[in-house]
Amino acid sequence: MGASHSTPKITAQDRAILDLKLQRDKLKQYQKKIQVVLEREHAIARAHLATGQKDRAVIALRRRKYQQSLLLKTDAQLETLEELVSTIEFSLVEVSVLHGLKQGNEVLKEIHKEMNIESVEKLMDETQEAREYQREIGEILANNLTADEEDAVQDELSQLEVEAVREGMELPSVPTHEPEQPVREPQAPTRDEARVPVAA
Amino acid sequence: MSFSTFTTPTGFLLPSVHSAPPFFTQQPHPGTNATVTEQWTTLLLAYARHRKLFVLRVEDTEAADSEWAEVLRNERINRKLLPSYLSTILATMVSKNLATYDPPGQTRSVLLYWRLPEEWAEVLHGWAISTGQLNTILTFYEITDPPIPSPLSDIPINLLKKAIAVLAKTGRSQLIAVADGEGVRLLAGKS
Repeated sequence: MGASHSTPKITAQDRAILDLKLQRDKLKQYQKKIQVVLEREHAIARAHLATGQKDRAVIALRRRKYQQSLLLKTDAQLETLEELVSTIEFSLVEVSVLHGLKQGNEVLKEIHKEMNIESVEKLMDETQEAREYQREIGEILANNLTADEEDAVQDELSQLEVEAVREGMELPSVPTHEPEQPVREPQAPTRDEARVPVAA
Repeated sequence: MSFSTFTTPTGFLLPSVHSAPPFFTQQPHPGTNATVTEQWTTLLLAYARHRKLFVLRVEDTEAADSEWAEVLRNERINRKLLPSYLSTILATMVSKNLATYDPPGQTRSVLLYWRLPEEWAEVLHGWAISTGQLNTILTFYEITDPPIPSPLSDIPINLLKKAIAVLAKTGRSQLIAVADGEGVRLLAGKS
C-alpha cells in the first residue's frame, strides 16, 4: 500500500522518546495508585478511631504519612521526566527548524547560482539595448507622425493662402504697352485658364 | 397505565416504550422480537453515548448499582432485562457490527460501537490535529488519559488500537513498539 513510503522510519530516537513517555505514564499510574491507598488508610484510621482502637489508627496514619512521602518523591521524579521529555521534543523542533533553515539556504544558493552578477549585468545591458531600440522605433514613429502632420499643415496653409487671395482679389492690370510678339497672345489665356482651377 | 418518557438522574431521556412491561421480555413472535431488539439496540447505544460507556456485560442486568441500571431496569414498573435476553440482544448487535465481543472468544461482554472504529479513527486524527500532536510520539495512556479531557478520554485500548489500525491503512498512523509497551505516531497523511 501507499502507507509504507509515506510513513517516516522509526528511529532509535523515537524509541527512546517512547520509552521515556512510557516511564512517565507508569509514574502517573503509580501516583494514582498511591492516591487510592492514601484515601483507604484515612478511612481505615477513621474506622479504627470509631471503634476505639487508637493505636491501630495511629499505625494506619503512619502508613499514610509514608505513602504521602512516596507521592512527593514520585512528584519530583515525574517533574524530571517530563522536563526531559519536553526538552527532547523541543530539541526535535529545533532540529527541524535547523533543517528548514538549511534547506532554505540551499534554495537561496541555487537561486543565486542562476543569477550571478555577470549574467545580471549582461541581462541589464541587453535590456538597455532593447530599450534603445525601442526608443529609436518610437522616434521613427514620432517622426512619421509629424511628417503626416506636416502635410496636413501644408494643406491648411495652401488653403489659407487661397482664401487670402480670394479676399483681396486683384484684377490683372491693363497692359501699358503693345505686345511685342503677337504669337504669345494665345498662350497667355491658356496659362490663366490653367491657374484658375488651382485658385478655385 | 400510561406510557411516558422519563428523564433519569443522569439526564438521559428514556423513551416511552421503556415503561412498557413487555419491552423487558423476549417476545416469542420473531417479527415482534426483531422490532423490540432493534429498539433495545438503539436505546443501549444512545445511553452508551450519553454516559460515554464502552462496555456492556450480561451481568450488568443483575447489579442494581451498575452504571447501566437506569436502562436495564425500570423500578417504576418493577421490570428488569433478563440476562438471557440481553445476551441475545448483544449477539444481534455483534452480528450487525454495532458491537464486538471484547475480549474475543466469549459472549458475556461487548465493546459497544456507538462510534464505529472508522469514526473513532477520524476523532483521533482530528484530536491530534487540533492539539498539535501530529508527528509526536504518543503513548496510549496519553491518549486515553490526557491531562485535558478529550473526546477520547477513557476509550478502551482495544478500540483505540482498532482506530489506529484504520488510520494506518491510509498512512496516517504508525505504531511503535518497544520492550515496555506501545506508542503511536499520528501523521498528517496524504490529502
